[in-house]
Amino acid sequence: MGANMLKVVSNVFKRKKTEDFKFRDAEFEELGLRLKKEIGSIFGRSLAIRELDSGSDNSTEIELVNLTTPYYDVERFGVSFVASPRHADVIIITGAVTQNMAVAVKKTYDATPAPKLVIAIGDDACNGGIFKDSYAVLGGADKIIPVDAKIPGNPPTPKEILKGLLALMKVIRNRK
Amino acid sequence: MNHTKELISIFSKEIPAKNIVEGCNNEVYAPINEEEFAKAITTLSARDSSLISLFCAESFGKNKGFTLFYAFEKAGSEEIIILQRALKSNHANSIAEQFPSASWYEREIMDGFGVRFDDAFDKRRLFLHERYPDDFHPLLKSFKNEKVKMKSSVKPEDEYQFREVHGEGVYHIPVGPVHAGIIEPGHFRFSVIGETIFNLEVRMFWKHRGIEKLAEGKTPLECVRIAETISGDETVANAVAFSNAVEKISNINVPVRAWHLRTIFLELERIYSHLGDMAGMIIDIAYPVGASPFFILREEMFRQNDALTGSRFMKGIVAPSGLKKDIPEDALGNLSSYLEAFSGRFCEAIKVAHSSSFSVIDRLETTGVVRKDLIKPLHITGPVARASGALTDTRIDHPYGIYGNLGLSRKFLERGDVISRFDLKAAEVLDSVRIIRKMIKEMPKGSVIKAGDIADGYAISVVEAPRGQSVHWLYLKNGVVDRYKVRTASFCNWQAIEHAVLGNIVPDFPLINKSMNLSYAGTDL
Repeated sequence: MGANMLKVVSNVFKRKKTEDFKFRDAEFEELGLRLKKEIGSIFGRSLAIRELDSGSDNSTEIELVNLTTPYYDVERFGVSFVASPRHADVIIITGAVTQNMAVAVKKTYDATPAPKLVIAIGDDACNGGIFKDSYAVLGGADKIIPVDAKIPGNPPTPKEILKGLLALMKVIRNRK
Repeated sequence: MNHTKELISIFSKEIPAKNIVEGCNNEVYAPINEEEFAKAITTLSARDSSLISLFCAESFGKNKGFTLFYAFEKAGSEEIIILQRALKSNHANSIAEQFPSASWYEREIMDGFGVRFDDAFDKRRLFLHERYPDDFHPLLKSFKNEKVKMKSSVKPEDEYQFREVHGEGVYHIPVGPVHAGIIEPGHFRFSVIGETIFNLEVRMFWKHRGIEKLAEGKTPLECVRIAETISGDETVANAVAFSNAVEKISNINVPVRAWHLRTIFLELERIYSHLGDMAGMIIDIAYPVGASPFFILREEMFRQNDALTGSRFMKGIVAPSGLKKDIPEDALGNLSSYLEAFSGRFCEAIKVAHSSSFSVIDRLETTGVVRKDLIKPLHITGPVARASGALTDTRIDHPYGIYGNLGLSRKFLERGDVISRFDLKAAEVLDSVRIIRKMIKEMPKGSVIKAGDIADGYAISVVEAPRGQSVHWLYLKNGVVDRYKVRTASFCNWQAIEHAVLGNIVPDFPLINKSMNLSYAGTDL
């Protein structure tokens, strides 16, 4: 066994050093653990989300990406963003639904296997927001697909989005 | 004004001097008749001017019909020249042969107003996709903003025609509008041979929300909220550009404290935007450990934004005449001490990205080159242009607020590849940190809003957003917006990506796209 191989093997087995994250927010952690428990019992450990932008101003997308970065890291709680609607339990829709996106929104919804849930995130997705009277939008997401939960905000913060996911769990439990 | 004299001499044959009008914000309007128009365009083209915007207004001034505005800048001149062309009908000739970036604008004007550019080489619709009814032109004054009846189906021959590339071994990859990541919608049509991209056509405007029409009839105070939604991560840049136009029209001198604070917000926006791009580039080459420090710093910037303004995207703080509220001294003090430690941590993150793995450099170097000779014809601006050797920076070229007093230096790199854009953004982040700390140190006391009546009139306003030059033109009539034209940097920069990807492999497309950081919302309006 060469020196290199030895290095590789010892790397696999030796005690790992990770950074000590002191910056996490206690409230967020508590919400996350509650969500993890709910996802564990309702979805069998993981919640797969497909993000669908139907006409947002891009700030909601940024906050959704932020949920996956080190400060929040929601994969710890069983939440993952997936690349295809075919793999999704939940569609998160952002922005008022534009006329130009209407067909794509419907197709994405139809491509998601049932049972499926939809969360509208941000004021525009909830009710059309500032754009509701524009010729170029249909209005909120519920104009074209059924919506199970709404998280308002311009845009909602990562913590508010997490709270919204917890609220969705409650919606599901109440239905059962 | 020397420039006006210069302009009068350039156009001595085409435009009588008495017709040239000085605008409110260092722009000059040169009304031109149809007979002299072509000659004037040739003169401007020979003079090495860049077309920075092209737009239409109906019922502008005494002209009840359509007026086309062609806005030009020239390196070394702060002034913007606007050719003002009153049309006698709804037909005009295209200038896309001389100024290729005109093509999208002309298609946009065709959709919005029904003005036909008869000799244009591309007459496809732009922001109105297939399902919009024929002969629908939302920016006509006769159209009151209301829901329209869309076509229920589209015949195959009416579908959007992409450029077709044929030949042995050529195949097409259609991508989008819904993509695999948490990204905005757009459609990319690749023509590929093996793994190499032979042609790319982007189709945008999926997110068209009707922003310009929505602005009509709104008061400036209502409209600034619309400006903020043009592109969420350019909230401040667009709110400042809009507000600046209102202030120039009304001759309102914004208090110097408000401009110091606006400058802080503008630079904070640049920092968090660039941090996101840098993290994204490293993520896109599958190196999350290297990306994490940038993500961590970016989240901290969002929290600083929130502590200062109450919004992580600094929404709702900028308003015409100043700011909605003042910022407490302790929040500014905290920001200054945070930034003191920031630079060291940021440089460490760059060092890690650069040195920890050769495969990082291997993926970033020579990838996605934006050629320097494309900058002028496509009017590419911002970091994309500066990483390809251009000296363009709106903060220096057309100083607004207090940027003229900051003694900014021009940063640029030559190679135009992904790593040049990465390194250039790194340098700009450090510059922005210095600007913010200087602003905090020199912060004057006083009010942040100037009482003043809003007047009617029109003005152009240009701002250097994180992605490049954002051009706003505002026409206020009877105290409300009559016409609001916005052209963000992405509208032009998107067209550069069709060239930057050529000869690259398909898997490098997301990386090139991230490095150019193009806003879909900001383009689609």
